[in-house]
Amino acid sequence: MSREKNVIIAKDLYLEYKKDVPIIKDSTFSIKSGSFVFITGPSGSGKSTLLKSFYGELKPKGGNLQIGGVSLNDIKSSKLAFLRKYLGIIFQDYKLIKEWTVEKNVMLPLLIAGYSKDVCEAQTKRLLKHVRLSGKENYYPLELSGGEQQRVAMARALAHNPVIILADEPTGNLDEYSSRVIWNLLEGANEQLGTTVVVVTHSIPNNLKVPFKHFYIENGTVYEIS
Amino acid sequence: MRSLKNHISLIIPLFAILFAVEFYFIISKIISEYEVNLSKDYSIIVVSKKPLTLPELKAVEPDIALIQEVDSDLIIKRLKQNGVDVNYEELKNFLPHFYKVYLSSFPSADMLEHIKQVLRGIDGVTRVETFTKVHEKMYHFLIFLKKISKFFLGIIFVTSIMLVFKQIEIWNLEHSERMYIMALFGAPLWMRNAILIKLSVIDTVISTILVYLIYSYLLSTKYLKELLGFENITISSQDLLKDMGWLFALGILISVVNVLIVSWRQPKIA
Repeated sequence: MSREKNVIIAKDLYLEYKKDVPIIKDSTFSIKSGSFVFITGPSGSGKSTLLKSFYGELKPKGGNLQIGGVSLNDIKSSKLAFLRKYLGIIFQDYKLIKEWTVEKNVMLPLLIAGYSKDVCEAQTKRLLKHVRLSGKENYYPLELSGGEQQRVAMARALAHNPVIILADEPTGNLDEYSSRVIWNLLEGANEQLGTTVVVVTHSIPNNLKVPFKHFYIENGTVYEIS
Repeated sequence: MRSLKNHISLIIPLFAILFAVEFYFIISKIISEYEVNLSKDYSIIVVSKKPLTLPELKAVEPDIALIQEVDSDLIIKRLKQNGVDVNYEELKNFLPHFYKVYLSSFPSADMLEHIKQVLRGIDGVTRVETFTKVHEKMYHFLIFLKKISKFFLGIIFVTSIMLVFKQIEIWNLEHSERMYIMALFGAPLWMRNAILIKLSVIDTVISTILVYLIYSYLLSTKYLKELLGFENITISSQDLLKDMGWLFALGILISVVNVLIVSWRQPKIA
């Protein structure tokens, strides 16, 4: 997945939860490798649904959707599990495993990728320092503030150097400090590592330093507006 | 505390199932040894004008294990004791051959009737006595015991499986979120289920050890030792250990099926 190559290609994409009630329809677009993309739109327009289809939680009911050259229309679970190893996902509600410590949560993608314990520990330590959470390795998610939990989720999403980061309202409920940390990390990953970043949000931050593309969803159709 | 509760919730039904299965194993072993002992003591009396040999009998009925000719002097002696007034020397010359026929296994009533017919068909055989009434009484008692233990096993099994399913519901609630998140990051099925598999294996080991300890204790009690010893039946600790291997395998099978059901019932991620 080199730069300038399309990593996400949607052709006449059709997504629905209930039969014949489309959430996304007639949408054709593509996202280049290494780009920073915002997807915006009014509440209930289907932004999160579109993102779900990118990580295979919702299969297209029509058209075609490809991630990294792999069609998600009729993907098998084993292949989907393999594809997800190349994705870093950030959710608005963090989706941390509450029975696990911060350290183990961050380690999750590394454990899945089969790295040794030493590598996992070193990488986790480095990432927690990046998200300003050093010393909180042994805390449980519920012992942290919302902002801190999202920073843990951010560290987890970056842990395995994913090819694509998919973020659903990553700073929706966060304080200014945590929001800044999250945007800095997303920018850093995109700029320094060439990671493709796709962010679903209500509003695009003003002080972003990286160039970005903007997709807007209206009446179920995805438009590229810049 | 929660973890202990988690373990106990699975150990109890697993223990009940394994305990019932071992009970069935032991009852079956006691019955089969008892049958062997009975067949050793049990014999059919055959009266024949001609002498009979074991190969000759085996040719018509392979289940025959041994024949023993009853000494005619013994018969004469018994008649003398009973004061029967005959010429014993003359009688001795006219007496037919009496045989005790032993079988290799304890026969069912139908099998016994079949053997009786076969023996009657042999040239020279004038009478076959199977002592059917005594035999049937004992045989029916054994069958009854076997049925009772099967019934007992069935009830315990069904009840325990219901408890296991209850536990599956709890696991489903407790682990679904974690397994869902792991799946989102591409964890394979075995990794998502690793905690449950570990939990199941530990609980199966504990349940199997508990069953072993309890049966070891029960079989070493004076009452059971005397009861089994009286019938010449032995259940060694080696027999018990061998059974534990089977019980452990059964426990693992039940646990793995549990885990598979839990993962099957997870919300499908695409």
